[in-house]
Amino acid sequence: MTAVISASHLSKYYGNVLGLNDVSIEIEAGITGLLGPNGAGKSTFMKLATGQMKPDIGTVAIRGRRTWNAPEIFRSVGFCSEPDAFYEDMTGLEFVAGLLRFYGFSRKEIGDRAARALDIVGLTGDRDRLVRGYSRGMRQRVKFAQAIAHDPEILILDEPLSGLDSLGKRKLIKLIKGYREEGRTVLVSSHVLPEIEALTSRVVLVHQGRILAEGDVPYIRELIEAHPHQVSVRSSDPRRLAARFVDDPAVLKMTFGGDGRTLVVETRKRDDLFERLAPAVLEAGIEVEEISSPDDNLEAVFKYLVGA
Amino acid sequence: MRLGSAVRETFGFFFTLGRRTGRTRTFALLGLVPVAMAVAARAILHGRTGDLAAVSTEILMVFFLQFYIVILALFHGTSITAEEVENRTLSYLLTRPIPKTAIVLGKFSAYAALMSAMVAVGLGASYFVLNAGRMGDAALYAAFFRYLGVLGLGVLAYTAFFAFLGTALKRAIIPGLAFGFGWETAIQYFPGSTQRFSVVHYLKSLLPYRPGSGGGRGVALLLFRLEPTSPALAVLALLAITAVFLALACAVFRAKEYVSGD
Repeated sequence: MTAVISASHLSKYYGNVLGLNDVSIEIEAGITGLLGPNGAGKSTFMKLATGQMKPDIGTVAIRGRRTWNAPEIFRSVGFCSEPDAFYEDMTGLEFVAGLLRFYGFSRKEIGDRAARALDIVGLTGDRDRLVRGYSRGMRQRVKFAQAIAHDPEILILDEPLSGLDSLGKRKLIKLIKGYREEGRTVLVSSHVLPEIEALTSRVVLVHQGRILAEGDVPYIRELIEAHPHQVSVRSSDPRRLAARFVDDPAVLKMTFGGDGRTLVVETRKRDDLFERLAPAVLEAGIEVEEISSPDDNLEAVFKYLVGA
Repeated sequence: MRLGSAVRETFGFFFTLGRRTGRTRTFALLGLVPVAMAVAARAILHGRTGDLAAVSTEILMVFFLQFYIVILALFHGTSITAEEVENRTLSYLLTRPIPKTAIVLGKFSAYAALMSAMVAVGLGASYFVLNAGRMGDAALYAAFFRYLGVLGLGVLAYTAFFAFLGTALKRAIIPGLAFGFGWETAIQYFPGSTQRFSVVHYLKSLLPYRPGSGGGRGVALLLFRLEPTSPALAVLALLAITAVFLALACAVFRAKEYVSGD
């Protein structure tokens, strides 16, 4: 299959700060998820891919055409940026229709396309309200509408689900999946694994400007499962609780918190540990105040994967 | 999309948007200050025409020529790129199938049209209030259109210069203020050809009266130390300033990448 978006040894610096480091990737038709914590380089990659920034080293191309100063590629590309930024003094309809002016459509077609895009994202009833009066979810949807209004073959979406409620997320996920069914290419970024998981099984892990891993979701899950998790239990008697887990094969290490009430257990098998924790607490007759996973986040997983 | 069509569409987009912004409303109100001044002057003059009206007209022109069009052009010109970067809306424009040059030229045209309209309303209202006693005099209208033309050329030249500053510098307002109200104010009173290194020199050279001609009755504020360039050359110089700085702004905008704070 031919790559729709391709990058070769792509690097970008913000002064002395590394934004993207020697990234080589080929993105094919279908949905590809860019997954990484905030500041990982996802937005930088998308800005380079959409020609908003110029690579310092390497190349990035869409259908073989380098993207810097190549506006013609945007006939077939729709971009939804991450910042919550708009021309606030326009209505939703004016905003979408205004941006459609740049494609050479007739006035009637602009009106029809704008109305259709707003209908798709469920903003028909609010299309004549000023964008500044929209809720966060509505603003996210109108931003998506401007990206799809010209019916692009390639969609590049930077954190499109952020700010949406769960119903809005579900609707947008369904919509994005519909683009895959039509054989289009969607590159979507998120820092939330379940969001990416709901959209696609093809994931690229990005961290500190580098591609850490590429593969399907089960493979990424495997990597994440291998990450040692910390489980913190605050209870009336952490020492008695620790005694219960001394010989537990799932436990790698145990430490006591400075407050004298917290036991921190490190494990590679978090689910197994949780399974045994409840009976152990009951049998020991210990009063548990709080159970938490302080490193149960993507940042910790990435740190583990890069060996930090 | 071809450059001409892209400029036209960019113009339409920003002309529509520009009419609604708080900045436009604020500057439109500022443009009405001379109208209030004209009404006050008219009341003081009790409808008399002649030298006092001419002096008042000249004071109005000082306001428009040396303050209003400079401040208008400074805030509109520098914002052509700066507001897109600061408001993080630039990606909406950069991801459309239009040349980057069209963004600069389209926004420049839209803002120049808006500014010209503001100047025309402010100048027209104040000028005709002040000269209401001479409405039958054809020379009054000729002078008005000449004033308007001078200010229009000033809007173009200053906006092009400030557009260039805005594309090239991250914070262009301070250097713009220094140029508009420092350099432009000081250099015009220098003797000899030095004053030709200012925009305002060419604008003053186009006024309907010239030093020693008996025009500029009254205090001749605008003619002080002026060693005028011929009107034809002045028009050419102003158009050249506009073209050169617009071309520079387009070249910088095309080559430079703008990173928003996100």
